[in-house]
Amino acid sequence: MRARVDAMKSSRPPRTRTADPTPPPNFWRRGNYLPYIAFGSCGLLLFAVGFGLLRLVWTLGSGDPAAWNAIFESYGHPLYLAFHAFALVALTWFTFRFFRLFPKTQPPKLGPLPRPPDSVFLLGLGGAFFVATTLASLVLGGALP
Amino acid sequence: MSGRETKTFVVTRFDPDRDEAPRTQEYEVPVRGDWKVLDALNYIKDEVDPTLSHRWSCRMAVCGSCGMQVNGEPKLTCKTALREYGERVEVGPLANFPVVRDLVIEMDGFMERLSAVKPWILEAKGAAEVEGPHRQTPDELAAFKQYSMCINCMLCYAACPVVANEPDFLGPAALALGHRYNQDSRDHGASERHEVFRGEGGVFSCSYANECSEVCPKNVDPSKAIQQAKLLNVLDWAKGFVVPRGGK
Repeated sequence: MRARVDAMKSSRPPRTRTADPTPPPNFWRRGNYLPYIAFGSCGLLLFAVGFGLLRLVWTLGSGDPAAWNAIFESYGHPLYLAFHAFALVALTWFTFRFFRLFPKTQPPKLGPLPRPPDSVFLLGLGGAFFVATTLASLVLGGALP
Repeated sequence: MSGRETKTFVVTRFDPDRDEAPRTQEYEVPVRGDWKVLDALNYIKDEVDPTLSHRWSCRMAVCGSCGMQVNGEPKLTCKTALREYGERVEVGPLANFPVVRDLVIEMDGFMERLSAVKPWILEAKGAAEVEGPHRQTPDELAAFKQYSMCINCMLCYAACPVVANEPDFLGPAALALGHRYNQDSRDHGASERHEVFRGEGGVFSCSYANECSEVCPKNVDPSKAIQQAKLLNVLDWAKGFVVPRGGK
Protein backbone atom coordinates (compact mmCIF):
# COMPACT_ATOMS: atom_id res chain seq x y z
CA MET A 1 0.00 0.00 0.00
CA ARG A 2 1.11 3.58 -0.62
CA ALA A 3 0.19 6.73 1.24
CA ARG A 4 -1.73 9.19 -0.88
CA VAL A 5 0.51 11.87 -2.35
CA ASP A 6 -1.75 14.52 -0.84
CA ALA A 7 -1.67 13.02 2.68
CA MET A 8 -1.05 15.73 5.32
CA LYS A 9 -0.68 18.39 2.66
CA SER A 10 -1.25 22.00 3.58
CA SER A 11 -3.80 24.18 1.78
CA ARG A 12 -0.89 26.48 0.90
CA PRO A 13 1.80 25.39 -1.53
CA PRO A 14 5.02 24.28 0.21
CA ARG A 15 7.92 26.74 0.29
CA THR A 16 10.22 24.21 -1.35
CA ARG A 17 9.69 21.10 -3.42
CA THR A 18 8.77 18.22 -1.10
CA ALA A 19 9.05 14.45 -1.44
CA ASP A 20 5.78 12.51 -1.42
CA PRO A 21 4.63 10.98 1.86
CA THR A 22 5.31 7.30 2.31
CA PRO A 23 3.68 4.79 4.67
CA PRO A 24 5.89 2.84 7.07
CA PRO A 25 7.46 -0.17 5.32
CA ASN A 26 5.53 -3.41 5.86
CA PHE A 27 3.15 -1.49 8.07
CA TRP A 28 0.48 -4.16 7.84
CA ARG A 29 2.70 -6.70 9.58
CA ARG A 30 3.37 -4.40 12.50
CA GLY A 31 1.50 -3.62 15.71
CA ASN A 32 -2.23 -4.12 15.67
CA TYR A 33 -2.86 -3.83 11.95
CA LEU A 34 -3.69 -7.49 11.33
CA PRO A 35 -6.34 -7.75 14.07
CA TYR A 36 -7.61 -4.34 12.98
CA ILE A 37 -7.98 -5.48 9.37
CA ALA A 38 -9.51 -8.81 10.47
CA PHE A 39 -11.98 -6.93 12.70
CA GLY A 40 -12.99 -4.70 9.79
CA SER A 41 -13.20 -7.68 7.43
CA CYS A 42 -15.70 -9.33 9.76
CA GLY A 43 -18.11 -6.73 8.40
CA LEU A 44 -18.13 -8.67 5.12
CA LEU A 45 -18.86 -11.84 7.06
CA LEU A 46 -21.74 -10.15 8.86
CA PHE A 47 -22.97 -8.98 5.45
CA ALA A 48 -22.90 -12.57 4.12
CA VAL A 49 -24.59 -14.04 7.20
CA GLY A 50 -27.19 -11.26 7.05
CA PHE A 51 -28.00 -12.14 3.44
CA GLY A 52 -28.34 -15.79 4.46
CA LEU A 53 -30.87 -14.79 7.12
CA LEU A 54 -32.75 -12.60 4.63
CA ARG A 55 -32.94 -15.56 2.27
CA LEU A 56 -34.43 -17.63 5.06
CA VAL A 57 -37.01 -14.97 5.92
CA TRP A 58 -37.86 -14.49 2.24
CA THR A 59 -38.43 -18.22 1.80
CA LEU A 60 -40.48 -18.39 4.97
CA GLY A 61 -42.60 -15.51 3.69
CA SER A 62 -43.21 -17.28 0.39
CA GLY A 63 -45.06 -20.03 2.30
CA ASP A 64 -43.55 -22.87 0.26
CA PRO A 65 -42.61 -25.81 2.55
CA ALA A 66 -40.53 -27.46 -0.22
CA ALA A 67 -38.36 -24.36 -0.62
CA TRP A 68 -37.98 -24.10 3.18
CA ASN A 69 -36.88 -27.72 3.43
CA ALA A 70 -34.49 -27.29 0.50
CA ILE A 71 -32.70 -24.51 2.35
CA PHE A 72 -32.23 -26.67 5.42
CA GLU A 73 -30.97 -29.53 3.28
CA SER A 74 -28.46 -27.17 1.64
CA TYR A 75 -27.09 -26.40 5.11
CA GLY A 76 -25.80 -29.97 5.27
CA HIS A 77 -23.41 -29.32 2.38
CA PRO A 78 -19.76 -29.46 3.52
CA LEU A 79 -19.09 -25.96 2.17
CA TYR A 80 -21.98 -24.54 4.16
CA LEU A 81 -20.83 -26.40 7.27
CA ALA A 82 -17.31 -25.03 6.85
CA PHE A 83 -18.65 -21.52 6.27
CA HIS A 84 -20.83 -21.63 9.36
CA ALA A 85 -18.03 -23.05 11.51
CA PHE A 86 -15.72 -20.29 10.29
CA ALA A 87 -18.42 -17.65 10.83
CA LEU A 88 -19.04 -18.91 14.37
CA VAL A 89 -15.37 -18.64 15.32
CA ALA A 90 -14.80 -15.32 13.54
CA LEU A 91 -17.90 -13.61 14.84
CA THR A 92 -17.31 -14.84 18.39
CA TRP A 93 -13.83 -13.29 18.23
CA PHE A 94 -15.35 -10.15 16.68
CA THR A 95 -17.89 -9.92 19.51
CA PHE A 96 -15.34 -10.35 22.27
CA ARG A 97 -13.05 -7.75 20.70
CA PHE A 98 -15.97 -5.39 20.33
CA PHE A 99 -16.92 -5.85 23.99
CA ARG A 100 -13.31 -5.24 25.01
CA LEU A 101 -13.11 -2.01 23.01
CA PHE A 102 -16.55 -0.67 23.86
CA PRO A 103 -15.92 0.52 27.45
CA LYS A 104 -12.98 2.62 26.24
CA THR A 105 -15.27 4.55 23.97
CA GLN A 106 -17.46 5.84 26.78
CA PRO A 107 -16.74 9.42 27.89
CA PRO A 108 -16.21 10.24 31.59
CA LYS A 109 -19.60 11.94 31.73
CA LEU A 110 -22.73 11.36 29.71
CA GLY A 111 -24.73 14.54 30.23
CA PRO A 112 -25.16 14.90 33.99
CA LEU A 113 -24.42 11.22 34.69
CA PRO A 114 -20.93 9.95 35.56
CA ARG A 115 -19.46 7.13 33.53
CA PRO A 116 -20.08 3.72 35.13
CA PRO A 117 -16.97 1.61 35.86
CA ASP A 118 -15.67 -0.72 33.12
CA SER A 119 -16.97 -3.77 35.00
CA VAL A 120 -20.55 -2.56 34.50
CA PHE A 121 -20.08 -2.40 30.71
CA LEU A 122 -18.37 -5.76 30.64
CA LEU A 123 -21.02 -7.40 32.80
CA GLY A 124 -23.85 -5.84 30.80
CA LEU A 125 -22.45 -6.64 27.39
CA GLY A 126 -21.15 -10.07 28.44
CA GLY A 127 -24.56 -10.83 29.98
CA ALA A 128 -26.34 -9.82 26.78
CA PHE A 129 -23.98 -12.02 24.79
CA PHE A 130 -24.59 -14.96 27.15
CA VAL A 131 -28.38 -14.58 27.11
CA ALA A 132 -28.51 -14.23 23.31
CA THR A 133 -26.23 -17.26 22.82
CA THR A 134 -28.21 -19.38 25.29
CA LEU A 135 -31.54 -18.43 23.70
CA ALA A 136 -30.23 -19.18 20.20
CA SER A 137 -28.83 -22.52 21.37
CA LEU A 138 -32.13 -23.48 23.02
CA VAL A 139 -34.13 -22.54 19.92
CA LEU A 140 -31.78 -24.29 17.50
CA GLY A 141 -31.56 -27.32 19.83
CA GLY A 142 -35.34 -27.63 19.82
CA ALA A 143 -35.74 -27.00 23.55
CA LEU A 144 -37.81 -23.88 22.86
CA PRO A 145 -40.50 -23.56 20.19
CA MET B 1 37.20 3.66 20.53
CA SER B 2 36.90 1.92 23.94
CA GLY B 3 33.46 1.27 25.44
CA ARG B 4 31.81 1.92 22.14
CA GLU B 5 30.04 -0.34 19.69
CA THR B 6 29.80 0.48 16.00
CA LYS B 7 26.34 0.48 14.47
CA THR B 8 25.35 1.12 10.88
CA PHE B 9 22.78 3.85 10.42
CA VAL B 10 20.75 3.79 7.23
CA VAL B 11 19.46 7.32 7.01
CA THR B 12 16.96 8.66 4.50
CA ARG B 13 18.34 11.62 2.57
CA PHE B 14 16.47 14.02 0.32
CA ASP B 15 17.70 17.26 -1.16
CA PRO B 16 14.88 19.00 -3.03
CA ASP B 17 17.41 20.75 -5.28
CA ARG B 18 19.18 17.56 -6.35
CA ASP B 19 17.18 14.44 -5.62
CA GLU B 20 14.16 13.30 -7.58
CA ALA B 21 13.06 11.12 -4.66
CA PRO B 22 14.39 10.21 -1.21
CA ARG B 23 17.38 7.87 -1.08
CA THR B 24 19.29 6.25 1.74
CA GLN B 25 22.84 6.78 2.96
CA GLU B 26 24.79 4.58 5.37
CA TYR B 27 26.92 5.85 8.25
CA GLU B 28 29.10 3.88 10.66
CA VAL B 29 28.71 5.36 14.12
CA PRO B 30 30.63 4.39 17.27
CA VAL B 31 27.79 4.53 19.80
CA ARG B 32 27.94 4.50 23.58
CA GLY B 33 25.74 2.17 25.59
CA ASP B 34 23.55 4.93 26.96
CA TRP B 35 22.98 6.76 23.67
CA LYS B 36 19.59 7.48 22.20
CA VAL B 37 18.93 7.47 18.46
CA LEU B 38 19.10 11.27 18.51
CA ASP B 39 22.64 11.15 19.95
CA ALA B 40 23.74 9.11 16.95
CA LEU B 41 22.10 11.52 14.52
CA ASN B 42 23.79 14.45 16.23
CA TYR B 43 27.11 12.59 16.03
CA ILE B 44 26.62 12.13 12.29
CA LYS B 45 25.73 15.80 11.89
CA ASP B 46 28.64 17.05 14.03
CA GLU B 47 31.40 14.59 13.13
CA VAL B 48 30.63 12.87 9.83
CA ASP B 49 28.24 14.71 7.54
CA PRO B 50 27.17 18.28 8.35
CA THR B 51 24.70 18.28 5.45
CA LEU B 52 22.31 15.97 7.32
CA SER B 53 19.13 17.79 8.37
CA HIS B 54 16.98 16.76 11.30
CA ARG B 55 14.82 18.53 13.88
CA TRP B 56 15.43 18.34 17.60
CA SER B 57 15.41 20.62 20.61
CA CYS B 58 14.80 19.61 24.23
CA ARG B 59 16.27 16.07 24.35
CA MET B 60 13.78 15.15 27.09
CA ALA B 61 10.60 14.09 25.26
CA VAL B 62 8.85 17.37 25.92
CA CYS B 63 9.16 19.49 22.77
CA GLY B 64 7.99 16.83 20.28
CA SER B 65 10.46 17.93 17.60
CA CYS B 66 12.50 14.80 17.03
CA GLY B 67 9.85 12.34 15.83
CA MET B 68 11.18 10.01 13.10
CA GLN B 69 10.70 6.50 11.75
CA VAL B 70 13.19 4.21 13.50
CA ASN B 71 13.28 0.78 11.90
CA GLY B 72 9.90 1.58 10.38
CA GLU B 73 8.17 2.68 13.58
CA PRO B 74 7.40 6.24 14.58
CA LYS B 75 9.53 7.15 17.61
CA LEU B 76 10.75 10.16 19.54
CA THR B 77 14.44 9.75 18.82
CA CYS B 78 15.48 11.46 22.07
CA LYS B 79 13.56 8.83 24.03
CA THR B 80 14.51 5.77 22.00
CA ALA B 81 17.52 3.91 23.37
CA LEU B 82 19.93 2.52 20.80
CA ARG B 83 20.52 -0.58 22.89
CA GLU B 84 17.02 -1.74 21.83
CA TYR B 85 18.29 -2.13 18.28
CA GLY B 86 20.75 -4.40 16.53
CA GLU B 87 23.76 -3.58 14.36
CA ARG B 88 21.69 -1.85 11.72
CA VAL B 89 19.32 1.02 12.46
CA GLU B 90 17.13 2.59 9.79
CA VAL B 91 16.11 6.20 10.39
CA GLY B 92 13.67 8.01 8.12
CA PRO B 93 11.31 10.99 8.19
CA LEU B 94 7.88 10.50 9.75
CA ALA B 95 5.60 8.48 7.48
CA ASN B 96 2.50 10.03 5.90
CA PHE B 97 4.05 13.51 5.73
CA PRO B 98 5.59 15.35 2.77
CA VAL B 99 9.36 15.55 3.26
CA VAL B 100 11.10 18.93 3.14
CA ARG B 101 14.65 17.63 3.43
CA ASP B 102 16.33 14.49 4.79
CA LEU B 103 14.53 13.77 8.09
CA VAL B 104 12.55 17.00 8.18
CA ILE B 105 8.85 16.82 7.37
CA GLU B 106 6.45 19.54 6.23
CA MET B 107 4.37 20.54 9.28
CA ASP B 108 2.00 23.10 7.80
CA GLY B 109 -0.72 20.54 7.09
CA PHE B 110 -0.61 19.44 10.71
CA MET B 111 -0.78 23.00 12.02
CA GLU B 112 -3.84 23.68 9.86
CA ARG B 113 -5.60 20.58 11.17
CA LEU B 114 -4.71 21.53 14.72
CA SER B 115 -6.14 25.03 14.48
CA ALA B 116 -9.32 23.68 12.79
CA VAL B 117 -10.50 22.15 16.08
CA LYS B 118 -10.02 25.44 18.00
CA PRO B 119 -7.68 24.04 20.67
CA TRP B 120 -8.20 26.83 23.17
CA ILE B 121 -10.84 27.65 25.75
CA LEU B 122 -13.90 29.18 24.17
CA GLU B 123 -15.62 31.39 26.69
CA ALA B 124 -19.35 31.82 27.08
CA LYS B 125 -20.17 35.41 26.15
CA GLY B 126 -19.32 37.72 29.05
CA ALA B 127 -18.34 34.84 31.33
CA ALA B 128 -14.85 36.12 32.09
CA GLU B 129 -16.05 39.53 33.28
CA VAL B 130 -18.93 38.23 35.33
CA GLU B 131 -17.60 35.07 36.92
CA GLY B 132 -14.01 35.94 37.71
CA PRO B 133 -11.50 33.07 37.98
CA HIS B 134 -12.56 29.65 36.76
CA ARG B 135 -12.42 27.11 39.54
CA GLN B 136 -12.01 23.44 38.75
CA THR B 137 -12.30 20.38 40.97
CA PRO B 138 -9.74 17.53 40.77
CA ASP B 139 -12.42 15.37 39.14
CA GLU B 140 -13.06 18.01 36.49
CA LEU B 141 -9.34 18.19 35.80
CA ALA B 142 -9.07 14.40 35.63
CA ALA B 143 -11.71 14.34 32.87
CA PHE B 144 -9.28 15.84 30.36
CA LYS B 145 -5.80 15.86 31.91
CA GLN B 146 -4.62 12.79 30.00
CA TYR B 147 -5.51 14.43 26.68
CA SER B 148 -3.68 17.63 27.59
CA MET B 149 -0.36 15.76 27.75
CA CYS B 150 0.01 15.83 23.95
CA ILE B 151 3.30 17.37 22.79
CA ASN B 152 2.31 17.55 19.10
CA CYS B 153 5.10 15.20 18.07
CA MET B 154 2.94 13.84 15.20
CA LEU B 155 3.96 10.22 15.74
CA CYS B 156 0.25 9.37 15.80
CA TYR B 157 -0.15 10.79 12.28
CA ALA B 158 2.73 8.67 11.04
CA ALA B 159 1.11 5.54 12.49
CA CYS B 160 -2.48 6.15 11.39
CA PRO B 161 -3.72 4.24 8.31
CA VAL B 162 -6.56 6.73 7.84
CA VAL B 163 -4.13 9.67 7.63
CA ALA B 164 -2.33 7.82 4.83
CA ASN B 165 -5.52 7.38 2.83
CA GLU B 166 -7.83 10.26 3.65
CA PRO B 167 -6.21 13.65 3.03
CA ASP B 168 -9.01 15.58 4.79
CA PHE B 169 -8.76 13.59 8.03
CA LEU B 170 -8.05 15.95 10.92
CA GLY B 171 -6.02 13.21 12.55
CA PRO B 172 -5.49 11.80 16.05
CA ALA B 173 -3.68 14.64 17.83
CA ALA B 174 -5.99 17.40 16.59
CA LEU B 175 -9.17 15.48 17.37
CA ALA B 176 -7.89 14.41 20.79
CA LEU B 177 -6.99 17.99 21.58
CA GLY B 178 -10.43 19.18 20.48
CA HIS B 179 -11.98 16.54 22.73
CA ARG B 180 -9.71 17.69 25.56
CA TYR B 181 -11.25 21.17 25.39
CA ASN B 182 -14.76 19.77 25.04
CA GLN B 183 -14.18 17.93 28.33
CA ASP B 184 -12.83 21.02 30.08
CA SER B 185 -15.38 22.42 32.53
CA ARG B 186 -14.17 25.97 31.75
CA ASP B 187 -14.91 25.64 28.05
CA HIS B 188 -18.20 26.54 26.36
CA GLY B 189 -17.35 25.73 22.76
CA ALA B 190 -18.25 22.03 22.52
CA SER B 191 -21.11 22.56 20.07
CA GLU B 192 -18.85 24.64 17.85
CA ARG B 193 -16.19 21.91 17.82
CA HIS B 194 -18.76 19.17 17.30
CA GLU B 195 -19.69 20.86 14.02
CA VAL B 196 -16.06 20.43 12.95
CA PHE B 197 -15.91 16.91 14.37
CA ARG B 198 -18.87 15.67 12.32
CA GLY B 199 -17.69 17.39 9.15
CA GLU B 200 -15.47 16.00 6.41
CA GLY B 201 -12.44 14.25 7.93
CA GLY B 202 -13.84 14.48 11.45
CA VAL B 203 -14.15 11.86 14.16
CA PHE B 204 -16.24 9.49 12.05
CA SER B 205 -13.37 9.01 9.60
CA CYS B 206 -11.50 7.21 12.38
CA SER B 207 -11.87 3.44 12.06
CA TYR B 208 -10.24 2.73 15.44
CA ALA B 209 -7.04 1.07 14.30
CA ASN B 210 -5.63 2.24 17.66
CA GLU B 211 -2.13 2.64 16.21
CA CYS B 212 -2.05 6.27 17.36
CA SER B 213 -2.38 5.20 20.98
CA GLU B 214 0.19 2.44 20.51
CA VAL B 215 2.91 4.85 19.40
CA CYS B 216 2.05 7.85 21.59
CA PRO B 217 5.13 8.59 23.74
CA LYS B 218 3.06 10.45 26.34
CA ASN B 219 0.25 7.87 26.73
CA VAL B 220 -2.34 10.36 25.61
CA ASP B 221 -4.50 7.61 24.05
CA PRO B 222 -5.90 9.67 21.15
CA SER B 223 -8.00 6.79 19.84
CA LYS B 224 -9.87 6.65 23.15
CA ALA B 225 -10.50 10.40 22.93
CA ILE B 226 -11.82 10.07 19.38
CA GLN B 227 -14.19 7.21 20.21
CA GLN B 228 -15.54 9.17 23.16
CA ALA B 229 -15.89 12.23 20.95
CA LYS B 230 -17.95 10.17 18.48
CA LEU B 231 -20.54 9.32 21.13
CA LEU B 232 -20.69 12.87 22.49
CA ASN B 233 -20.97 14.12 18.92
CA VAL B 234 -24.02 11.95 18.26
CA LEU B 235 -25.60 13.17 21.51
CA ASP B 236 -24.89 16.78 20.51
CA TRP B 237 -26.42 16.14 17.08
CA ALA B 238 -29.52 14.58 18.67
CA LYS B 239 -29.76 17.47 21.14
CA GLY B 240 -29.95 19.82 18.16
CA PHE B 241 -33.44 18.48 17.39
CA VAL B 242 -34.85 19.52 20.76
CA VAL B 243 -32.69 22.44 21.86
CA PRO B 244 -31.82 25.26 19.42
CA ARG B 245 -28.13 25.57 18.54
CA GLY B 246 -26.27 27.54 21.18
CA GLY B 247 -28.78 26.50 23.85
CA LYS B 248 -27.79 24.60 26.96
